[in-house]
Amino acid sequence: MNWKRSIIAALFAVPLILLFAYGFTKDPNNIPSPLPGRMAPDFRLPVFASGEPPTTLPVGDTVHLASLRGQVVVLNFWASWCLSCRDEHRELSAFARRYAGKPVRFLGVLYNDFPAPAINWIQEMGGQQYPSVNDATAHTSIDYGLYGVPETYFIDGNGRVAYKQTGPVTDSILTAKVDSLIAALPAAAKSGAAADSALPALTPARTSPKGAP
Amino acid sequence: MSKRNWAILVAVVLVATFGWLLYGGLNKNVVFFLTPKELLAKGADGYDVPVRLGGMVVPGTVQWDEKTLHLQFKVTDDSGTVLVHETGAPPQMFQPGMGVVVEGKFGRDNVFQATNLMVKHSNEYHPPKPGEKPEEMYKTLIKGSTP
Amino acid sequence: MTGMFAHDALLVSLFAVLFGAVIGTLGIRGHRQDWVQLAFGSVYANFVLVTIATLAMIYALVTHDYSVSYVAQVGSNETPLFYTVISLWGALEGSILFWAWVLGAYSTAVIWINRKRAGNLVPWAAVTLLVVALFFAILLVWPANPFHSVFPVPSDGPGPNPLLQNHILMAVHPPLLYLGYVGMSVPFAFAAGAMFSGEVASDDWIRISRTWTMIAWGFLSAAIIAGMWWSYEVLGWGGYWAWDPVENASFLPWLTATAYLHSVMVQERRGMLKLWNLNLMVGTFVLTILGTFLTRSGILSSVHAFTTGTIGYYFLTFIGIVLVWALAMVGGVSDKLKTRGHLESVTSRETVFLFNNLFLTAFMFTVLVGTLFPLVAEALRGVKVTVGQPFFDKMTLPLISALIFLVGVGPALPWGSASRDVLKRKLLPPIAGAVVMGAIGLAVGARNPYAVLIFAFVGYSAFANLREYWIGMKARHAAHGENWGLALTRLVGGNRRRYGGYVAHLGVLLVALGIAASQSFRREREATLEPGQSITVSGHTARLKEVWGRQEPQRAVIGATMEVVENGKVVATADPRMNFYPTQSAPVPTPQVISSISGDLYFNLMAFDQNGSHATVKLIVQPLVPWIWFGGGVVVLGAIIGVFPKRKRRTVPATARQPVPAVPLPLPTTGGGEA
Repeated sequence: MNWKRSIIAALFAVPLILLFAYGFTKDPNNIPSPLPGRMAPDFRLPVFASGEPPTTLPVGDTVHLASLRGQVVVLNFWASWCLSCRDEHRELSAFARRYAGKPVRFLGVLYNDFPAPAINWIQEMGGQQYPSVNDATAHTSIDYGLYGVPETYFIDGNGRVAYKQTGPVTDSILTAKVDSLIAALPAAAKSGAAADSALPALTPARTSPKGAP
Repeated sequence: MSKRNWAILVAVVLVATFGWLLYGGLNKNVVFFLTPKELLAKGADGYDVPVRLGGMVVPGTVQWDEKTLHLQFKVTDDSGTVLVHETGAPPQMFQPGMGVVVEGKFGRDNVFQATNLMVKHSNEYHPPKPGEKPEEMYKTLIKGSTP
Repeated sequence: MTGMFAHDALLVSLFAVLFGAVIGTLGIRGHRQDWVQLAFGSVYANFVLVTIATLAMIYALVTHDYSVSYVAQVGSNETPLFYTVISLWGALEGSILFWAWVLGAYSTAVIWINRKRAGNLVPWAAVTLLVVALFFAILLVWPANPFHSVFPVPSDGPGPNPLLQNHILMAVHPPLLYLGYVGMSVPFAFAAGAMFSGEVASDDWIRISRTWTMIAWGFLSAAIIAGMWWSYEVLGWGGYWAWDPVENASFLPWLTATAYLHSVMVQERRGMLKLWNLNLMVGTFVLTILGTFLTRSGILSSVHAFTTGTIGYYFLTFIGIVLVWALAMVGGVSDKLKTRGHLESVTSRETVFLFNNLFLTAFMFTVLVGTLFPLVAEALRGVKVTVGQPFFDKMTLPLISALIFLVGVGPALPWGSASRDVLKRKLLPPIAGAVVMGAIGLAVGARNPYAVLIFAFVGYSAFANLREYWIGMKARHAAHGENWGLALTRLVGGNRRRYGGYVAHLGVLLVALGIAASQSFRREREATLEPGQSITVSGHTARLKEVWGRQEPQRAVIGATMEVVENGKVVATADPRMNFYPTQSAPVPTPQVISSISGDLYFNLMAFDQNGSHATVKLIVQPLVPWIWFGGGVVVLGAIIGVFPKRKRRTVPATARQPVPAVPLPLPTTGGGEA
């Protein structure tokens, strides 16, 4: 072996490997989401699955995003036909249960699906801690620039999108993002965790129980 | 010069020429991928050069004339909107609200003349949207006809 | 349970290959033949274990066992059995499993056949193959484990990607591609073995590697043609090649393998280009891994891309290790590779091979640069760009033209040096072929200079290659009094590689002609028709008969029956369709092609009215497209002839010979003639 030549030859591989490593930081299929840092598009959507205590919402009530201002909101877009949603579901639901007393609100948004199979799915998966709303017209999904499900948006206390996760979330992502966003909330909101279980942030309006237009 | 140096010289010249050709070819033939906002921000530089425009189809802006095969719709990211004209049937997967990539040129009349329309479809499987069930598109055909 | 069991088999295979690689290395270093035998044994054991896992997956697919993650991902109760089985390679994890199985099969075959060979070449090759297998075993046990258990168990799945269950060619293209891709690991393993064992200075090892390269090359050629055919029949835009990253990925190793198959002859005959051949061999393997990496990691945008996952990082690591290691190895042994011979004359076959290699390598780099450029541009300048057809067309057409010309020049020139007289005798007559084909091209309306040039060069080279056959047959006919058929079989049998090569040349020329004609003379129109109305494209008229629909078990089908009318009579019908799958919001187009020897009428249903009162149909007329598929079959036939082992007794007096039955050549497995 001629080691000098060996090393010189091997150096040629470096730029190529760096290029590929760089490639991983980009997803060519994604038009970058313009949302992070901006106000989260507002919506009013009907609840079709109530979730489990203490974070339930009555089926048929309307959730108005703007009225949740002051606490952290985690929006998880999902559908019963999506396999990756199965992967993330257990961790997401368990995380929501663990954080039930904190100033963070979890909300499932059903995309491109019907309430009936979605409710079956929730039962099949052994329940869902947080309530889900139905985006029957897909307008909200379009506002958020959804590319597929699952996608999860982390909204800070001021109603801005702080972070977007494409694909399944994990416990570590949730912990990192939610903890930092809670830490950034004003002190009053943090101590007012008691308000959370009382679920004040609902508009009284009622729509049809089916939740479809 | 020795034979070996000649060979090296020839190789260098060949590789350099080839690299130069490649570089020139790439410079003239790359197609920029832009969002409506980026395209509009280019101003006059954005006119009449081949571009790939990526964004969402604005619901309610899709018009298709099946006789003349004229198709028009608007494409948006969140801050810019561009009107797109194309000739031909919309792709079978075309739906308002979905991500598309259109290839073509942005004309001085501020209309994007598309030559190619690609639908971005994620790897996930989507069931029909309420009110847009495929069955409603074809069930009348299945009942009363023969294969 | 199937899932757990199969995953255990994969886990055991991981340990088997790891053990084999270690014990093999130690055995070679410590001159322990029994340890080397253990390494061979673990090659076979790995194959058995991966076979068990693969069969378990097929079983799980067929029995709709949705507790297995891969089945939950691609299976569905409604999918027909056939498509259920082939969905084995329809998505990422299954395709990796299938890949590992093909690698196991190749490794077992090549090690078994060469197990008695003296020296350390084969043991080192076995170790290399085991290391490659180790990578895939790691993928299968962790990031791409297809046997995850899903809980709770779904009652039904979404079914395979409809694009993949819409056409029979999907059963053919991926296995061929894997056979081609994975097959390149074998010559690479032998190149690595030669470098480790020091045999690289001799030329004996290339005899093993070149045969396996030819096998893999034949599969890869068939796979590329089948892939073109699939996208032509399924994607609905009437084209077969779009310079898409995934298509390019399959083409890159083909180019370097083709270069190798030519330049290896220069090494055998003249003892030159040793280092170059080593580079080609290693490069081909790296390109196959690169191709897999590009398609599986999702770092480049492509219509064919698989779902992104963490698997990309594993590939990145692997490709990094392979690149660094291979380059270091080649660099390290480079000073051992002294050239024996030298170029005697510019007018010789070896010169043609040099140019052939130069152009093929330039071709490869052009495609590689065009494919990777979007990544480079984003890394360096932060802009998103795509490199489209114009770049590839403009850059590759001169190279393609030159290569087609060389296909005619190479076989005509002798090794060593050709006299002026020989040059005249060999190179001038084929010009007749060039003139005829060029004139035909002009007469039918080709105006693009490259199109005319390619027509002419195809004529030149076809003439030259057929003439080689003619010269050889004539000589046998005159010397032995053999009849023409016998002369042909004996001629080919006497030098299978050479005459198989010429057959492959003819196949390539047919493909080139089909592409040149279909690109130059493609005409298309799109129109909305009511039943009874018709559309005419370059002299072909088709009339809409009706728009219909029917329900099939796994899908609903809408079709438009088009009648091709000639002189007021219906001569053919086509039913372009849209297939609606329950798990898809969008229908899948199913174009219909009416083929004849002169070309294709390509129908695609673009839109339809719900009441059947009208439909929008696209009609594309493309001449000579079937010649591409037929030419692909001929290329494969050439490879089969070339790979066939030589007859043992070659110099028996003519009188003592039994009348040899015409060797029944196996038919090409794909890309066959009747399109």
